[in-house]
Amino acid sequence: MRVSPDLSVEIAGVPFPNPVMPASGAYEVDEIHDNFFSPSELGAVINKTIFLHPRPGNPPPRIWETPCGMLNAIGIPCDGAEAFIWDKLPNLRKLGPPVVVSIAGETMEEWIELSELIESTGMADLLELNLSCPNLSDGIPWSTEEKTLERVVSAVVSRVKLPVIAKLSPVVTDIADMARTAEGAGASALSMINTYKGMAIDIKRKRPVLGNVTGGLSGPAIRPLAVWAVYSAYETVKIPIIGMGGIDGPTAAIEFLLAGASAVAVGMYNFIDPFTMKKTIEGIRTYLLEEGYSSVREIIGMAHTRA
Amino acid sequence: MAAPVYRKATLVSRKENPKGYFHLVIREEQIAQTAGPGQFVMVRGWHTGDPILPRPFDIVLADPLKGVFRLCIKVEGKGTRLLSTLKKGSSLYVTGPLGKSITEFDSSGTALLVRGAGAAAVVFLAETLTKLKKPVFTILSASTKSRLVCRALLEEFSNDVFIATDDGTEGYHGNGTDILDQLITEGKVDTVYTCGSHRFARHVKALDLAGKVKGYLFLEGYMGCGMGDCHGCAVKKDGEDGYFLVCMDGPVFRSRTVVVDS
Ligand SMILES: Cc1cc2nc3c(=O)[nH]c(=O)nc-3n(C[C@H](O)[C@H](O)[C@H](O)COP(=O)(O)OP(=O)(O)OC[C@H]3O[C@@H](n4cnc5c(N)ncnc54)[C@H](O)[C@@H]3O)c2cc1C
Ligand SMILES: Cc1cc2nc3c(=O)[nH]c(=O)nc-3n(C[C@H](O)[C@H](O)[C@H](O)COP(=O)(O)O)c2cc1C
Ligand code: FES
Repeated sequence: MRVSPDLSVEIAGVPFPNPVMPASGAYEVDEIHDNFFSPSELGAVINKTIFLHPRPGNPPPRIWETPCGMLNAIGIPCDGAEAFIWDKLPNLRKLGPPVVVSIAGETMEEWIELSELIESTGMADLLELNLSCPNLSDGIPWSTEEKTLERVVSAVVSRVKLPVIAKLSPVVTDIADMARTAEGAGASALSMINTYKGMAIDIKRKRPVLGNVTGGLSGPAIRPLAVWAVYSAYETVKIPIIGMGGIDGPTAAIEFLLAGASAVAVGMYNFIDPFTMKKTIEGIRTYLLEEGYSSVREIIGMAHTRA
Repeated sequence: MAAPVYRKATLVSRKENPKGYFHLVIREEQIAQTAGPGQFVMVRGWHTGDPILPRPFDIVLADPLKGVFRLCIKVEGKGTRLLSTLKKGSSLYVTGPLGKSITEFDSSGTALLVRGAGAAAVVFLAETLTKLKKPVFTILSASTKSRLVCRALLEEFSNDVFIATDDGTEGYHGNGTDILDQLITEGKVDTVYTCGSHRFARHVKALDLAGKVKGYLFLEGYMGCGMGDCHGCAVKKDGEDGYFLVCMDGPVFRSRTVVVDS
């Protein structure tokens, strides 16, 4: 009898039972999802990014379908950190898999306050800094400017013991430089990538489609760009990478693992097939069996020519 | 309320009536058994990257015994065109039932003010009210006689169906809201549901705000997931800050609680 391959991986010292998790903002844990599969089967769970204070989000239209993808300008609506800690975090905690808490700050002080607040709950295993949304006062995401990235990551890392994941924006000259900067500032892992900035125009109204004018592009359309981002960062940094961007099943997920991701996240495909993450876990297991590997860890980064 | 399922389902029949509107009967037992009035499904009839997202459609009627439900789809763009060409026996991917089912039926008389594909949204409600022996008055509006949607079904489940056409080819020559105002004056209705026209929505909201009826709107909005994951389907709240999600808080809303686009 063939032994089932070991799917477990480790991100910043935290064991994940398997390498598949949701991407922040694209999957909720609630009773609506009860008839699909249990989130306790996931490699990790994560919340939609929260800010310290409640925010309404952007005016509609917030989403627009594009070839092989979608634009979104949701604007991260949230009820604030208090509501999250009381209403949502305990539900994530009791599922079983490690809990990643995704946060964002509008100011440096907010990043620090929110990080400390989340750590003080004792309910998070990892902290993901969503550095890639354009909410800084000057409109530039935290992770598109090396000095800013360095400042915010090192500030958070110096205040909390929780391992910190830096979620990077691909809208930069060279994402490997940003990966190195985040690592240098003390990040324990990277999430790559957030969406690409884009827009669509309604030719009848002759105006941008989205209420926010621009939005972030996700889905299979960005997958080759995301695989390249992970591949190039893997050559540059030693910390583990969570790869994402257009994963629609096991084949795409395995591409990311071979490129150097230690785990993968599924975003918009959860909207199309709510079983995508479960099918991805099963498909990775089948692939490892067929290819004769005993652990998923053996294939991480295998696409690199270096020995 | 029953949690939705995601299933590969089968197209049992497809019929065009009137031109440009397709009635699809779909076999999926669990959805047929758990759906309620006001609920919708997300449907995908393709494995392509373009279109990629599933599309939302109201459940026109559900037959729990036969395990089938019906949709009425107006051909608008890529997705609906593909759905309109599916052959009997084809597979579709459906998630549902989604959204909140209507559960309050305490009105003494209900008017359904609908136009175009909006007619599809209220058939289930009309059937439910009829079973409860509650009076239903439907005002079915269209540009012209040959564009009246779901007419036979609405006639089956209404005490009266009033037709209004823009060109006067059948029924009242003019605005469906005139008929509604008349029904209210006669004291026949205290509750109104509307779908398919911004003009109707604004009119019903004005009546609701004036305290003349309880007004409800079936809202549409671009949807990514239909189940609260993407936060794409926002509609602005009236009277307070923030947004509702059409898929989670609706799709049926009390008219005074939401901002109606002009
Ligand atoms: C809750 C709900 C119930 C609906 N019920 C029905 C129904 O019973 N019958 C019916 O004919 N139509 C219904 N609609 C509208 C229907 O979903 C759209 O006409 C359809 O999505 C258009 O898809 P398309 O690919 O043909 O158009 P395209 O223009 O190619 O679609 C592009 C994108 O825009 C979205 N979109 C375009 N028009 C609309 C719209 N009016 N509302 C929401 N999203 C839109 C599509 O879903 C897709 O993501 C409903 C919409 C909602 C939100
Ligand atoms: C509707 C939507 C909402 C998102 N919200 C967030 C968010 O709140 N925080 C975040 O870090 N990323 C957010 N993202 C980005 C995803 O987490 C992911 O990085 C990106 O979509 C690429 O993955 P995908 O192609 O599989 O969707 C969002 C993406 C989508 C499509
Ligand atoms: S459609 Fe995704 S939240 Fe409503």
